[in-house]
Amino acid sequence: MTAILESGYAFWNPIIWIIVFIVVGIMVYFFRRQGQKEYKKDTDQTQIFLCGEEVPEAGERHIRVGNIYWGFFETLKEYYTQVLKIHTGIINDYILWFVGAMALSVIILLVAGLG
Amino acid sequence: MADLMTHGAILIIAIPLLAAFLTPLVGMASQKARNILVVVSLLFVVVLVFALARDISINGIHVYTLGATAPEVTTPGNFIVPVRIILEVDGMSMLMAMLWSIVSLAAAIFSFSHIANETGQNRFYTLLLLMVTGGFGMMFTGDLFNLFVFLEIASISGAALIAYRTKFADTQEGGFKYIVVSAIASLMVLFAIGLLYAQYNLLNIGALAEVIQYTTVDKIALALLLIAFTIKAGMVPLHLWFPDAYSVAPASITGMLVITSHACMYAAFRVCFSLYGNMLDAPVVGWILIVFGLLSMFVGVTMAIFQKDVMRFMSYHAISQLGYMWVGVGVGLAVLGNAELLATYGRDAMSGGIFHILNHAMYKPLLFFTGGALFHMTGTRDLSKMGGLAHKMKWTAILYIIGTLSISGIPPLNGFSSKILIYESVYQFNAILTITGIVVSILTLASFTKAFHSAFMGAELPEYGKVTEVPKSMIIGMAILAAGIVFITLFPSLVVDRAIQPAADALINQGAYIDAITGAIP
Repeated sequence: MTAILESGYAFWNPIIWIIVFIVVGIMVYFFRRQGQKEYKKDTDQTQIFLCGEEVPEAGERHIRVGNIYWGFFETLKEYYTQVLKIHTGIINDYILWFVGAMALSVIILLVAGLG
Repeated sequence: MADLMTHGAILIIAIPLLAAFLTPLVGMASQKARNILVVVSLLFVVVLVFALARDISINGIHVYTLGATAPEVTTPGNFIVPVRIILEVDGMSMLMAMLWSIVSLAAAIFSFSHIANETGQNRFYTLLLLMVTGGFGMMFTGDLFNLFVFLEIASISGAALIAYRTKFADTQEGGFKYIVVSAIASLMVLFAIGLLYAQYNLLNIGALAEVIQYTTVDKIALALLLIAFTIKAGMVPLHLWFPDAYSVAPASITGMLVITSHACMYAAFRVCFSLYGNMLDAPVVGWILIVFGLLSMFVGVTMAIFQKDVMRFMSYHAISQLGYMWVGVGVGLAVLGNAELLATYGRDAMSGGIFHILNHAMYKPLLFFTGGALFHMTGTRDLSKMGGLAHKMKWTAILYIIGTLSISGIPPLNGFSSKILIYESVYQFNAILTITGIVVSILTLASFTKAFHSAFMGAELPEYGKVTEVPKSMIIGMAILAAGIVFITLFPSLVVDRAIQPAADALINQGAYIDAITGAIP
């Protein structure tokens, strides 16, 4: 079978997954169809309800990229401080890294060859 | 047909080169005719590449000697070593050529609308086709000096294309950084070639591989070649130029630049496996690749999740994904000298790494194209200014989801197939590699979810009231790559058996690569 990938320890068959997704999709569609149909379109019933508060404009209620995963960045603040330091944007620094990596590689290969 | 296959390798390089020089001439007469010329030439190259791949899978390595009495005659009658320009095409070269041909075609079609409002379009397509030529040359060449020449062609055209949209200041900076890094890397490659030539009087990879001694000078040449291709591929900590350059190029070009990074990675693999091969201190060099790979995976994804510019975000993810390939192939290299370990997991690790190159070549340009589509319609790359765009750009949103699920390794998408091969094989070498890979995959999904929410989710924003779906040619460009993803998703075993394992075997079997050159001596 061209779909079954043998990894050496187990097998991987995407067709099984696709069949499962289709079955689950049909089930979701079926359950969704059982839902309430008698709501009145284009009335307040279909508007956002925010505990009686005024709903902000679309632009104000959209959570922007800068506010997502705040806790992750706060936890890794020290890591980011260090990593961002090397991203100077200066081409001279980029070449310094290149020279450094090359020198290190030469040393590693030569020292490894001594053994 | 047999003649076409005999000359297939050189035709694949020559057709885009010829089309590159015809493009401005035809473009002066008609833009439509120029676009047709670009697509037809690239389409013909796709057909040739797949036909040649089939031929190579049946008949083995193709050797093509320019200027010889017959293409397979590698050494002139009164010489004892090959001296002419020789193309040597094996399973690994063909895999790279297949993905390069598809991505080039998709990028060209995507470009028709993406750069429709820019000036100098004739020059754009000339440069695009020159970059295609350079890429194929790097993948097919059998000698080191021509590897340098084709690397230069790809780099110079790439730099010009990055800086193509002169109305933006950052494109000039990106192009400048790219050309400086490329020039220095190319010079180091040339220096290394000089070191090898000074010792062995040879430039042909196969002929050199037969006599190379792994002297101290050879080790220095190896370090120069390895690090030069590593910086060109964009591996951490030599990646710093990568997001600066890739994020400012037209999205179609960024998609192609990803494959030029793959080509540099291919060159590094070719040097390690086919040139140095069994002479190499394989565990040490393998670990050098693995360390670069691990750093790239982790630093790439953590930097990506931090980004607000959609194209820089995509660029850092490209760096992160390149890490998987280096880890997979690095593990294979580390156990190259141990036949038992190579058979137990080394070959599978290499197959996983190479499979990931193919998958990455489908989903990463697709994601760059979706980023370009967002920029094309909104005029900004800043994710913090976007929102609710799925209402207006449904096809782009769907294609973005396909790319996202694939890059994150979510089953049943193709990214999962290659990642599972890598995870299960490298685990036996060192469990930390697999654990890092899984953590990076989770972070990848998290960051793409963040970007999806920021750009596509939420209510329609009033400032994007006039935004519509991107033009059809851009959709077609993205759909070609999405179709590739779907095909690999459905038939992973077919792809692995026919393309990936032959590619891994081509790298492992250094003897066959050498014999194709030396065995052809009359």
